[in-house]
Amino acid sequence: MYPTAVPGDLSLPHVDVDAVFGADFVDRAKRYERFFYVDWVLAQIALFVTLWIYARRGAVFARESSAGPIGTGMLLGMLGLAIAWLVHVPFALASHWWQRRWDQNDLSYLDWLFEDWALLAAEFLSICVALLIVMGLARWLGERWWLPGAGVFVGIAALFSFAAPYLYYSTTPLEQKPLLEAASTYERKLGLGHIPLRVEEVSADTDQANAFAFGLGPSRRVVFWDTILEPPFTEAEQRVVLAHELAHHSQRHLPKGIGWFALFAIPGAWILMRATRGRGGMGEPTSVPLALFVVAVLQLATAPVSSAISRRMEAEADWKALTVTHDPAALEGLMVEFSKTGLGDPDPPFISQLVFGTHPTLADRVAMARAFADRR
Amino acid sequence: MEGLSQRPVRLVVRDDLKRDRLTVFFRLILAVPLLLWVTLRGIAAFVVGFVNWLAVLVQREVPESTHDFVANYVRYSTQVSAYVFLAANPYPWFRYQSGYPVDVHIDPPVQQGRWGGFFRLVLAIPAVLLAAALGSGFATTTPGQGSFASNGNENEAVWWSVSSFGGVAAACAVLAWFFIVARGRAPRGLRDLVAFALGYGAQAAAYLFLLTPRYPTSDPALAEPYSKLPRHPVRAVVTDDLERPRLTVFFRLFLAIPHFVWILLWTVAVFFVGFIAWIVALVLGRLPLPLHRFFGAYIRYATHLVAFVYLVGRRFPGFTGREGSYGIDVTIDPPERQKRLTILFRGILVFPAFIVAGTLGSVALVIGLLAWWYALVRARMPEGMRNLGVTSLRYSAQTYAYSLLVTGRYPHASPVLRDPGPGPEPRPNFAPPRPAVGDTF
Repeated sequence: MYPTAVPGDLSLPHVDVDAVFGADFVDRAKRYERFFYVDWVLAQIALFVTLWIYARRGAVFARESSAGPIGTGMLLGMLGLAIAWLVHVPFALASHWWQRRWDQNDLSYLDWLFEDWALLAAEFLSICVALLIVMGLARWLGERWWLPGAGVFVGIAALFSFAAPYLYYSTTPLEQKPLLEAASTYERKLGLGHIPLRVEEVSADTDQANAFAFGLGPSRRVVFWDTILEPPFTEAEQRVVLAHELAHHSQRHLPKGIGWFALFAIPGAWILMRATRGRGGMGEPTSVPLALFVVAVLQLATAPVSSAISRRMEAEADWKALTVTHDPAALEGLMVEFSKTGLGDPDPPFISQLVFGTHPTLADRVAMARAFADRR
Repeated sequence: MEGLSQRPVRLVVRDDLKRDRLTVFFRLILAVPLLLWVTLRGIAAFVVGFVNWLAVLVQREVPESTHDFVANYVRYSTQVSAYVFLAANPYPWFRYQSGYPVDVHIDPPVQQGRWGGFFRLVLAIPAVLLAAALGSGFATTTPGQGSFASNGNENEAVWWSVSSFGGVAAACAVLAWFFIVARGRAPRGLRDLVAFALGYGAQAAAYLFLLTPRYPTSDPALAEPYSKLPRHPVRAVVTDDLERPRLTVFFRLFLAIPHFVWILLWTVAVFFVGFIAWIVALVLGRLPLPLHRFFGAYIRYATHLVAFVYLVGRRFPGFTGREGSYGIDVTIDPPERQKRLTILFRGILVFPAFIVAGTLGSVALVIGLLAWWYALVRARMPEGMRNLGVTSLRYSAQTYAYSLLVTGRYPHASPVLRDPGPGPEPRPNFAPPRPAVGDTF
């Protein structure tokens, strides 16, 4: 899972971000992004304080249930999620206000308030399913639940990865002939079979550009946001995006991601078992509030590692894209356009990149393009 | 629940259920002049109601003359509504009659708070909404429409008309019409339900027009003097309290999501098993015990879930529909023999009950919406609304039990939750409070 196609001796040259992206723009992007760092830190503090209080006192809500232990556990899990959501709302609102102030988001406050209700409902259902599995296994197997429990979650992750493209129905087939022709060439070079290319209409909601690869085996797909298929992105830049996403499939990043998830899930489940032992284990509903806190801590603690793994995969996809397109200038141009459309800081602070950086910084990606050019 | 005699607006029913088939057959046509007249009087009452409002703001009390004028209008509109909705037989003529079979007693004027008077139109909105859902005469013939129309908001006026036509009283009247034309007497349950709806409408009107400062109560106990609850194999049992923690109220719909998924799966199973049960019951003349238990658990579970969603029940329900596991519960008698002919045509016979259940369901929905706001502020559920919600759920449970062959007894529409009179088998439907019993899921 760890090896990468990026040459081990590749050394990235220094990139003068002011020269590449423009000093004024970099300054603007840094001021824009700084707010989100502060907002995120405050939100995390509020979240952990709330979850800590809930872990200590949340069990009293068990009296609001007439259901059995698992049903009561579901209720406590959902209430924990509800409280976390309530705490998160003011910070999300501040973030939305900031995006609107910098013309990065046109969504009205009312639309913003209601756009995520479906997602929240899905989260409520997800936590119920997760607790049904964990508590069911814990009541059946006692403290040994963690190993099969982790296995079940890995299985669900694999199943979801496989099924997601079939559930993601709001896309249409890509019709740009040059891109379709390029796809055939790249698929052959990357040793891939045919991967369907789809387009998702997002231009009504955002100017930001994106593309992504998902699915496993026969369900593999590449989806472009329609914003990336229009100017200012050039055809060469679109081809780099296409090659990058196909590389995710050729390098089997999605199955590898599931493998990494398994490596985290097994010790994570064990820690959860140990942490809730004092409250009777995960079979008892009163353990659920504490379990939520533990899961939140684990997520935060593992964020730097999971971000690093993600960055490694993205860097590999960039490198593979360069090897099949032989167009480092297009990759560099693409990064400049990305930063402009999303007002992204090309060279964010180390700590921010450590926690949130699922992709190499834009400066690093430009550096990789230049390193590739130098090698040629 | 306070004594009925303490309420300032009281419905009195002296109706003997006998109906003249001819006048019932032409009831709507006969009522046209009355409806025109009551609308004109309603406009006048609205103007006088405005005078009442000014009087309360100035001297905290409505003058006796204007009080009597509006009170007579409320009484008269209730009598006309009772006639239109077949809850009474005699033609009400064009003025208030003191001896009419369905009548309203309204107490003399009392002192009122100025703030309560000032915001009366706003404060009355929940009561008017519930009155509209109940489909009472007040909502259909009312000055409420006049007020909206006079503000130039005709869309809202139309909306009010439509919503009230879909109410409980209207649905009961349509069904009662067929029954009366065939049998020459009104079905007691439907008559009682219509009378209850009219009584609530009269309370809402009296409150809106400042005849009383007392907020209307929708407690079905108000119907106890004139309504009887016959023994039925499917009964509601209430052990719940009225507390509603704000957090579980705010996220009530989200908390019900796993239940929505579960009941969807269970309903699919019930649909297929129901068809098999129908054939088996046709052969045996009764429902086998395992199927009776399966459907019984489904009906109880659905009742628990709807009670939770509409805030009629406090706690998060279990997933198995076990008897005694929830504060708003349903008890179901063991299976009994049923007539094969009624089994054969059960799908058709249950249709009228589903209409009434549907309108009562819309009442429960309104209760849920209103109670959500109330409970968010007060962390409590109003007792009257809770009890009316139980009435709705009980009727729905009886309807499903009848349709799924769990019982051969037709649902009874009486709004009361307990039978106050002596009977051969008195069963208290309000069990003493007890701690919540855990389910097994």
